[in-house]
Amino acid sequence: MKILVIEDETALAQSIVAYLSDENYLCERAATAREAIDKIDVYDYDCIVLDLMLPGGDGLSILQEIKAQNKQDGVIIISAKNSLEDKIKGLQIGADDYLTKPFHLSELAARIYSIIRRKQFGNVNIIEQYELKIDLLAKTVLVHERPVSLTRKEFDLLLYFISNKNKVISKNALAEHLSGEVADMLDNYDFVYVHIKNLKKKLLEAGSNNYLKTLYGTGYKWEI
Amino acid sequence: MSKLLNRSLKRFLVYAGIILAGSIPVYYLTMSRLWQYELDEHNVIVTPEAGREDSYLIIVAVTSLTALFFILLMGGFILLNRRISRRLWQPFYRSLEQIRLFDLGAQQKVVFEPTDVDEFAALNQSLDKLIAGNIAAYNQQQEFADNASHELQTPLAIIQSKLDLLLQSKSLTNEQFTIIEEANKALARVTRINKNLLLLTKIENSQFMEKEAICLTELLEQAIAVFTSFSEDKQLALQTHIAPGVQVEGNKILVEIMLNNLITNAIRHTAAGGTIDIHLTANNLSVSNTGATPLQQEQLFKRFGATSAHTPGTGLGLALVKQIGHRYGWHITYAFKDHLHTFSIGF
Repeated sequence: MKILVIEDETALAQSIVAYLSDENYLCERAATAREAIDKIDVYDYDCIVLDLMLPGGDGLSILQEIKAQNKQDGVIIISAKNSLEDKIKGLQIGADDYLTKPFHLSELAARIYSIIRRKQFGNVNIIEQYELKIDLLAKTVLVHERPVSLTRKEFDLLLYFISNKNKVISKNALAEHLSGEVADMLDNYDFVYVHIKNLKKKLLEAGSNNYLKTLYGTGYKWEI
Repeated sequence: MSKLLNRSLKRFLVYAGIILAGSIPVYYLTMSRLWQYELDEHNVIVTPEAGREDSYLIIVAVTSLTALFFILLMGGFILLNRRISRRLWQPFYRSLEQIRLFDLGAQQKVVFEPTDVDEFAALNQSLDKLIAGNIAAYNQQQEFADNASHELQTPLAIIQSKLDLLLQSKSLTNEQFTIIEEANKALARVTRINKNLLLLTKIENSQFMEKEAICLTELLEQAIAVFTSFSEDKQLALQTHIAPGVQVEGNKILVEIMLNNLITNAIRHTAAGGTIDIHLTANNLSVSNTGATPLQQEQLFKRFGATSAHTPGTGLGLALVKQIGHRYGWHITYAFKDHLHTFSIGF
């Protein structure tokens, strides 16, 4: 799957590309609006990561260009501006998601995964991984075809891990993902531990292999 | 406190009174001398009784005349004073009213009426200069905070991404991982502070202007639902008394932020096993939590006023609450009674 990262800040673009690039994703970079438009004109991408403030052009105009060409590329805006107007405008023009800087790379990966999945599989919303089967619409999980009852947060975590497979994720990133805006105000991330423990227990009891590894005490990794 | 001209008037009147009272014996002596002289001139001899009667007459006449003039003077002074103060000081009072109504945040310029009095013209000019300087400094500060927070977002994003990337390296030791996690935590805090600062500046810059009717009951119940799991984690007893259908006018995002900040503060600052009480009536919302000692009222709503090593918050939560309340003219108070901290908002 091809991803285009349009970001003028080299250090950030490098990180994103380094994190995302693996056997599943092929990443390309564009640092200016001109470069971005040139690439979009020629190639099709599964997902475009778009920074709004670029040298030589506004990110929103690139978005308009993509939509004008009737491209099916998924677009996720990453912006330093946390302004609601930009967010609304971006989503109105046709962006699929909006992420404010700074963000965890695992969060970006989860959002990209979700966009690509929506675009590619249309109505078939089932993720399969060996003995696991996840129905995204019904929000159910089957292990060896037997349903496992997960809470909303546990289900959310499972998806997050699967979209970041083989990556080490910190407790901080998980806490922020789970509680969204509210994480801002809470200092204690211990609640993450409880949810992960329960998720792990339920999956193992249902007969799943142990994919969810704990590393270094407070880091986690979905290993396959 | 008394008006400036009344102060001088009192002195004038006292002075006139003293002079007039002092003039009574002078008049009396002069008159009786003249009278005596006239009598001697015309060889008129009066009996001592008649003489005494004459001097009484003179005293009465002089005193009543003096009193009459004093009253005339006093009346004149008061009337003149009133007219002068009304006319002369009018530009001053107008300028004063203008300054009183001036609100730095409202961003409107003060226009002073022209005056032909040198002193007032100079005063207005100086005030103009002072206010213009203040507005410029205020705008600069706003702009600075706005730009600074925006500019910070990108380097913060880079640090965050590098830390996330570092976590992926194969040869990480437990110790190194812990160090990264600690850096992560501090970074999350900086991000939060930055975000809240940006939000504060935006509110002060009068963004989020759109207003709508909000069902506070609904919003509050949603917020409480979100926070219940956190208060349960801390084993806090959460008591709610929420009146149905309470409506307020405001911006939904801002009101949400206000509710979230009040509730998280309560959860964060209550010791395990404590109680939080949320009370909503038609025109008042109060959030109370158990605590040991009263907080410093004057520091409470200031930016970074309450931050310390023991409160890992951003130090901006209550400043935001205050700013949002101020926007809608809501009255926000803090009280400590019976080991309960209570924050109330009167709509």
